[in-house]
Amino acid sequence: MSLSSLVPLIGVSDVVIGLSLGSRLFLIAVGLSLIFGVLGVLNFAHGGFYMLGAYVTLAFVTNVIDNFWLAAVVGALAVGVVGAVIEFAVIRPLYDRVDADLDQLIVTFGFVLIIHETVRFIWGSGSYSVEPPALFDFSVSLGGSSFGAYRLVVVGLAVAVLVGLWLFITQTYFGSLVRGTSSDREMASMLGVDVPRLYTGVFFLGSVLAGLGGALSSPLQSTSPALGDQVIIDAFIVVVIGGLGSMGGAFVGAMLIGMMQSLGPQFISAGSIAIPFLAMVIVLLFRPEGLFGGFGE
Amino acid sequence: MVTAGSDVENKRNRTGDVERNSENRSSVGRRRFLQAAGAGATVAVAGCMGGGGDDVVRLGATYILSGFASLYGEAAERGIEMAQSEINDNGGIDGQDVEIVVRDSEASADTAIQQIRSLVEEDDVDGLFGLDSSGVAQAVAPQVAQLQMPFMITHAATPFVTSPEGEHEDSVGNDYVFRDSNSLAQDIYGAARTAAELDATEWATIGPDYAFGYETWDYFQDFCAGLGVEAEFTAEQFPALATSDYTPYISSILDAEPDAVITPLWGADLTTFIGQAEEAGWFDQIDHTLFSVGMGTDLASDGNPLPEGEYASTRYDPFVPDTEANNTFRDAYYEEHDTLPTYNAEGAYRAVYLYKEAIESAGSTEADALVDEFTGMEHSGPVGDYQFSETNQATVASIWGTVSYDDEWESNVLDPVNRYEAGPDELSEALGDSDLPTGI
Repeated sequence: MSLSSLVPLIGVSDVVIGLSLGSRLFLIAVGLSLIFGVLGVLNFAHGGFYMLGAYVTLAFVTNVIDNFWLAAVVGALAVGVVGAVIEFAVIRPLYDRVDADLDQLIVTFGFVLIIHETVRFIWGSGSYSVEPPALFDFSVSLGGSSFGAYRLVVVGLAVAVLVGLWLFITQTYFGSLVRGTSSDREMASMLGVDVPRLYTGVFFLGSVLAGLGGALSSPLQSTSPALGDQVIIDAFIVVVIGGLGSMGGAFVGAMLIGMMQSLGPQFISAGSIAIPFLAMVIVLLFRPEGLFGGFGE
Repeated sequence: MVTAGSDVENKRNRTGDVERNSENRSSVGRRRFLQAAGAGATVAVAGCMGGGGDDVVRLGATYILSGFASLYGEAAERGIEMAQSEINDNGGIDGQDVEIVVRDSEASADTAIQQIRSLVEEDDVDGLFGLDSSGVAQAVAPQVAQLQMPFMITHAATPFVTSPEGEHEDSVGNDYVFRDSNSLAQDIYGAARTAAELDATEWATIGPDYAFGYETWDYFQDFCAGLGVEAEFTAEQFPALATSDYTPYISSILDAEPDAVITPLWGADLTTFIGQAEEAGWFDQIDHTLFSVGMGTDLASDGNPLPEGEYASTRYDPFVPDTEANNTFRDAYYEEHDTLPTYNAEGAYRAVYLYKEAIESAGSTEADALVDEFTGMEHSGPVGDYQFSETNQATVASIWGTVSYDDEWESNVLDPVNRYEAGPDELSEALGDSDLPTGI
């Protein structure tokens, strides 16, 4: 590790790249945070869902219709269905166990391996790339450097998801059920809320968000079976920094980590991937509950 | 037969062990004793089952067959299959068929070591070859010495595996490790010779975050100094292997505004990098990019090809030398696979022939006899004529050229291409006062 430059040159493109990396992280971290905030399940398989979203998008664009947006929607929904089935069939029976947390962790970790190997079986272990949608397949030059226009689209969509999700949670009937169940599951159940169905619904939504993250990111990165493993670590860092179960926290945490990933190489030539870990350690030491706390707060 | 080491295959091989062990009892040496100790139980069980006739020469190979660099392993397998069927169709090795067991190293030193031990102790191979990664080769070399089994490296390029132990703190070269393709030192010597011809002063690098990335940059700087190339080294980035998004690193290099960049990125990493570099306007802003592992994957990849006009090296050129051996190999390979042979295919292909020549000359498959044959051996193959140096490194040329698309072959080729003689004298002179070993 050595200093690459004493006075790093931070350009507009570095900021846009950082925001796009943050947006990608937000989409996966917010689903992870939502599921944990409401169900109390730490879903290790969330990285696998993200990867699956990218692969389904890739398969759809390649084999069905060459329409990226349609493929992204299909990818997100397909992952949502996979998530809902897993919650219904495998995670639901574990809620009332004494060691439910540990069992859920082990089961979801099992799905990390199952998804990884399934993807490897179907698509092989090589890597693929997906072209950005034709409308945004051009470079933007700003301040002497350039970046793909599609990055701005991803940032915009992440903000739209944040706003949409916030409105959904705070302004809709289903949102109020989610908040109520998140605060007190037993009370919600006594008041007539169908908690198991609501849980499956939330798991579906969280999985859709992971799948959408993978789908929208597929033109920005190479798609390989290792993708899920890489991103889940970053997503965990995001939710720890932002505060487990916090939507706003996930957004702020994701953007912070995205900027660290983008600007890190300006300061050190190798090992910049360790910077987010350092940030997480600092947050855990001085603000263990994260920068924000509690879903919907 | 090339196999990936399935259970069925292993069982059959173990059964075969018995027959061959009894045949070679007169030449039982230390290696055979260790093998027997390691695989004793297995052999005993297999013995009860009764061995069949097994008059084959069995070689073991390990390449990356999965993950970000699986293209390399696939190319090597093609070369192996070609050599094997040619040899077996023409009388085999001293009348015996050659059988080759190929295992996946998964680009991991631990896995490669396990596979090699298994090939020696369970499959009872007569010789080993392969390896795609410098980091893996560095860890494997001492194990090979321990197993006392010849290992012909066909791709992994670190000069430290052909630099005798003690020459440098990282040197792990020993009597059992050979390399039939060119080393990083030979390759980067050619890069510095190429740099000397370019109108570029400020240089940067972006390479993988392990030995290979750092060694490329160290050798490049020292060769430039030794050859008197007017160069400043202004920026460096070392992203982790199998990074899926290189844009932050690309952006950092572009911000430093170098004239030229040398990159040893390889495998799917290189493909990913090229696509993202194009998006960031890399090839408009950087005058020259030197891809030191460029032709390794590009020929076989349908991803982002190397941009024309940039520079790349190869360890084997399908068109040079214009010899019968090279032309026959290239045409047969093209006919079979509809693509030009990559250097990994050629290196693996040649390794099988090297074993054939060594075994026939020694009249034995005994490990130490093969080591004696390989030491200082003169050989000729598609790559041309070469000899193994005192440190067991093939004195093959360093090949650098300009990337251009060839319509006839529907592929990128190097044209024009330069071949720089890269023997011990050239390298040691060019390294000047450097502490780095020539590895040759």
